[in-house]
Amino acid sequence: MAERPRRPAALNRGLALVLALGGVAALAPLWAQDPLRIDLGATLESPSGAHWLGTDALGRDLTARIAHGGRVSLSIGILTSLFSLAIGVPLGALAGYRGGWTDATVSRLIETIACVPSLLLAIALLAMSPALLRGIPDVLRVALVLAFAGWIPVARYMRGEFLRLKSAVMVEAARAAGASDLRIMVRHLLPSALAPVLVTASFAAASAILVEAALSFLGLGVQPPQPTWGGLLSDAREQIDRGWWLAVVPGLALYGAVLGFNLIGEGIRDLLDPRAT
Amino acid sequence: MLRRIVSRLATGALTLLLVTLLVFGLIQLAPGDPLAVQDDGMERLSRADRAALAAYYGFDRPLSAQYASWLGRLLKGDLGTSIRDRRPVLEKIAERLPVTLSLNALALFLIVALSVPIGAAAALNPGSIADRWSATATYLLYAVPIFWAALLLQRLFAVRLGWLPLYGSGGVTGIPRFANMVLPVVCLTYGGLAYVSRFVRANLIESTRFETILSARARGLTRFTILVRHGFRLAAVPMLTLAGFLIPALFAGSVIVETVFQLPGLGWLFIDAAYQRDVPVLLGVTLISGTAALAGILFADLTYALADPRVRRG
Repeated sequence: MAERPRRPAALNRGLALVLALGGVAALAPLWAQDPLRIDLGATLESPSGAHWLGTDALGRDLTARIAHGGRVSLSIGILTSLFSLAIGVPLGALAGYRGGWTDATVSRLIETIACVPSLLLAIALLAMSPALLRGIPDVLRVALVLAFAGWIPVARYMRGEFLRLKSAVMVEAARAAGASDLRIMVRHLLPSALAPVLVTASFAAASAILVEAALSFLGLGVQPPQPTWGGLLSDAREQIDRGWWLAVVPGLALYGAVLGFNLIGEGIRDLLDPRAT
Repeated sequence: MLRRIVSRLATGALTLLLVTLLVFGLIQLAPGDPLAVQDDGMERLSRADRAALAAYYGFDRPLSAQYASWLGRLLKGDLGTSIRDRRPVLEKIAERLPVTLSLNALALFLIVALSVPIGAAAALNPGSIADRWSATATYLLYAVPIFWAALLLQRLFAVRLGWLPLYGSGGVTGIPRFANMVLPVVCLTYGGLAYVSRFVRANLIESTRFETILSARARGLTRFTILVRHGFRLAAVPMLTLAGFLIPALFAGSVIVETVFQLPGLGWLFIDAAYQRDVPVLLGVTLISGTAALAGILFADLTYALADPRVRRG
């Protein structure tokens, strides 16, 4: 992750971006038009009162398509983040706390999966997954595939945290009081590591949203007619000499979501460690 | 020192073995019965013929034995044959490699060539306006999705202004013409600037704490002269190691860039294989890219260990 000058406002800006986009997307069925309604009498229209952001090549309302695409992107981001935490937190915590063989095993596993670029791994898995995950909705399928590599940074971060925390006095005190390893990890260490969990969760969401959009852009992610941000940008490629808003607006939404989750992560990290650059 | 190198190479070899196991696991997940291809999906084969074929290909043996023989073929450079045109996967990868390598080499060169002055300017006066603005600007660039940048650049420079080709290699086979490489290389470059320029900055600031630098400052040299003469020498090794870590990210970027700009490299080969479910090619490229990334990380670790006397003695 790139480092930037410490700015207390990062968290606020990130939250504002994510909540604004999340609100627009979550409430889309209440206010937006039908994103699938084709109107061949109104194709590729420029922004107007009837269609705030114009229409696409099939006359579908772009505002509605972006809002509904946001539902896909944000759900996949959040689901992937949750799955990554479910795998990465326990494995990273165990590796950091137990050390020795557990650590060696988990570390080799992390290094192995980290070697393969995560986009390639996701594409390979998705190309195979019709047989593997038959009958599972696209959104869940993509989230599971992304979590396959998504837990790696989470586990790395948690391993470091638990390695640092395990020598704390409270661990010794709890052990002297007869607490089991599991109890020490869950009751004493996990609460101290809660903020780092949130940091990794928001970075995981940002990267999942980015990779999901790349997959949809390449036609390998969530399938049409379901609108997605990546899919909208892929459509804009077909209309490369037409209205600029087709390419600009879905990209801005995607950029805002990625930047928003990254800023939340940076903001929480700054709160944790004011000395970090 | 020797022990350190040997143990790092040993864990590297173990990881490589695990990467092959991961890829082998992915092969097992592949949809469809491997014999169905031979059978054209017609189910004309008798049960006895199927059993004979399965025995011939070794599908009747336990997975561990299949893995061992697959690994044996791998060591001989046999990655299997493409389902689509029956050509050896290694041959297909080899003919696509020059395009990807030239794109990534250019991008890597540009990232370093731009990040060093940006990082140095920031390190000259930490906390200054130049420092903060370069950090913010590169950070904002870092989060821009590559395919969005590609789309906007294509609209502006190819469609609107007509300065550069929209896509393709420019009518040549192999390495594309220079004009056809400009936009793809820009797309691969901008994302790395944030990380690398901050890295350069941090290392230069760190290096100014050394005694050589203190004595240079005592002799009355300016901060600029000190940075150029001494700082870079001290920061060169960390920068070299960084190149190793950039390989996986650049490769993932190639997949998108080569597809969008239709350049016949490894990335495009990979996407084509994904569309056609050409499993041997898909996994061959996955394996090669994993190996390249691992080699990059090992290279980074070892140069770091060899070059830094503190690590060398430790």
